[in-house]
Amino acid sequence: MSKQVPETIKKQVKRSFNSKEVKKEKNEKRMKLLKEIQTKAFKRAEKYEKEYLEQEQKLVELKQQALKEGSFYREPEPKLAFIIRIRGIVGVPPKPRKILQLLRLRRIYSGVFIRLNKSSLRMLHFIDPYVTWGYPDVETVRALIYKRGHARVNHQRKIIDSNEMIYDKLQKFDIVCMEDLVHEIYTVGKNFKHANSFLWAFKLKPPVGGFSTVKKSFVNKGEHGNREQYINTLVKKMI
Amino acid sequence: MTTQQLRPIVSVFPIKGKVKTIKQVPLPSVFSAPIRPDVVRFVHTNMAKNNRQAHAVSTTAGEQTSATSWGTGRAVARIPRVKGSGTGRSGQAAFGNMCRGGRMYAPKKVWRKWHRKINTNQKRYAVCSAIAATAVTPLVMSRGHRVNKLPELPLVVSDQLQSLTKTRQAVKFLKFIGAYRDVEKVIRTKKTRVGQGKYRNRRHVLRKGPMVVYARNLGIKKAFRNIPGVETASVYTLNLLKLAPGSQMGRFIIWTESAFKLLEDIYGSWEKPSKFKSGFYLPRPVMVNTDVERIIKSDQVQTVLRNRRPRSRKYGKKIQRADPYEDMSVMVKLNPYYKTKLQNQKELEEKNKKERKEIVDKSRKEYEDWLYFSEEEEEEEVEGSDEDREIEVLSDEN
Repeated sequence: MSKQVPETIKKQVKRSFNSKEVKKEKNEKRMKLLKEIQTKAFKRAEKYEKEYLEQEQKLVELKQQALKEGSFYREPEPKLAFIIRIRGIVGVPPKPRKILQLLRLRRIYSGVFIRLNKSSLRMLHFIDPYVTWGYPDVETVRALIYKRGHARVNHQRKIIDSNEMIYDKLQKFDIVCMEDLVHEIYTVGKNFKHANSFLWAFKLKPPVGGFSTVKKSFVNKGEHGNREQYINTLVKKMI
Repeated sequence: MTTQQLRPIVSVFPIKGKVKTIKQVPLPSVFSAPIRPDVVRFVHTNMAKNNRQAHAVSTTAGEQTSATSWGTGRAVARIPRVKGSGTGRSGQAAFGNMCRGGRMYAPKKVWRKWHRKINTNQKRYAVCSAIAATAVTPLVMSRGHRVNKLPELPLVVSDQLQSLTKTRQAVKFLKFIGAYRDVEKVIRTKKTRVGQGKYRNRRHVLRKGPMVVYARNLGIKKAFRNIPGVETASVYTLNLLKLAPGSQMGRFIIWTESAFKLLEDIYGSWEKPSKFKSGFYLPRPVMVNTDVERIIKSDQVQTVLRNRRPRSRKYGKKIQRADPYEDMSVMVKLNPYYKTKLQNQKELEEKNKKERKEIVDKSRKEYEDWLYFSEEEEEEEVEGSDEDREIEVLSDEN
């Protein structure tokens, strides 16, 4: 019995988008791209390390200078805040509920980064009793994105596996790796919006050691509202 | 729609002698009409109602009493009861459908709608479908006809058949052409009817055998009349109830040559209308080419399709990757600079440690030096005090 291959199948194989040659070509291209991305990632990470160090040193310098002159150095107001929702869903009035929705804080212990400006500060004012927020430092931003960073890919929440994922979505904003993403978020760059919306809202664990009382504000020995730099220690407990 | 065995040319067979083609005629367009069992079923169910005779229950049945209800207070149901006394009937319930001897619920009336109107075009559609089905061997076989020994389907036979007068000739012809097996089936399976029809002059039930369609009756009607199961019909008046008995398409039909040719005129085609049915063209099928697989696999379709989406295994399926702060390989994949960074930090730490150590050693040394010199100063101070010396001399003298 001679093996007769039907015409349609022959044509299909010829036309196939998954034929061996095509696959091989695609694979080669992809490998090349991955290499490029990783080399870029290396260089940029190096650059950013220097940048952060310089920033710190500069800050210290300016403060010392001001001290010498006998005046004060007023630090620039923080541009970035990390908000964590610390109250549940039940019994939230409509306005705060809407604002929490807009900020993607739809469930308890979810966290988002937000750019601080007049409008966002006003939003935070309304939701103060339901959230705690503060000014994260580099290590906090890094820990969040590396350990708990999930991307919004195809309307799905997918853990950030590799720099390729970031490259695919954010290449056009010149963000190609994790460190780029961290930098964009931490320094609230030009494409902060896109970097931030690429990230799914962070789902954090309840804090190790617990809260004192969520009903009071942080200033009153409670937990809600602005806690400035102490957000960093809280995130460490919740990450 | 089944794949039609379209035979553009059909053989005509003689009625005796040798079973071989004496002529060839083209297949009329009717046989390519769409085969629509749904249309045939609809038309058949309605057409079959048209030969019904009215029946009803007597209008006075159960009402021929002057019964009245006794009302309440008598310890009996309030149903109307027959008046009077002196007989068993008196006091019995009457009129109700639940009563013995009462009128039925909703007594049947003669003016029930017995017949059904069907749109003419629908009727014609059904007939065309049914005729087309008679040429499809699987359909004819599934209807139950014994057509294995036939030379061809559709079976067309010379016009000499129309001039047959004797039943014996008819039977001989049927045997000759191979159609007698179907007649035998009919004879074999003649049974008494199940049910009450048997004593209502419908005693026996027969299967349907072959149907002989002719153009002119020159004796054929009488010749085939007495053969059980066989029916004859003029091609001008084909009845759906006979072409698709029980709304099951695929009757076994024997056509005479002129009848077969007349089909083209009677039912027309898609280009030419029927000569006998005014304004009637053959019905068009919904799909001309029903081989869907072939259409999908064709070049015309395949070249225009978008690429098949590759199964995106790029980002990993449900892989929960490890925590980068615990698993170095994951960390390095995300941040290739990390190892270097750790190294730099380590170097920096060691450098700082070293520097600190130097500073600490230096200051310790300074302190120790200071300590040494200050001890020497202390001894000079002791030599300078006289009081203590005097006390010592005194003690020696004693």
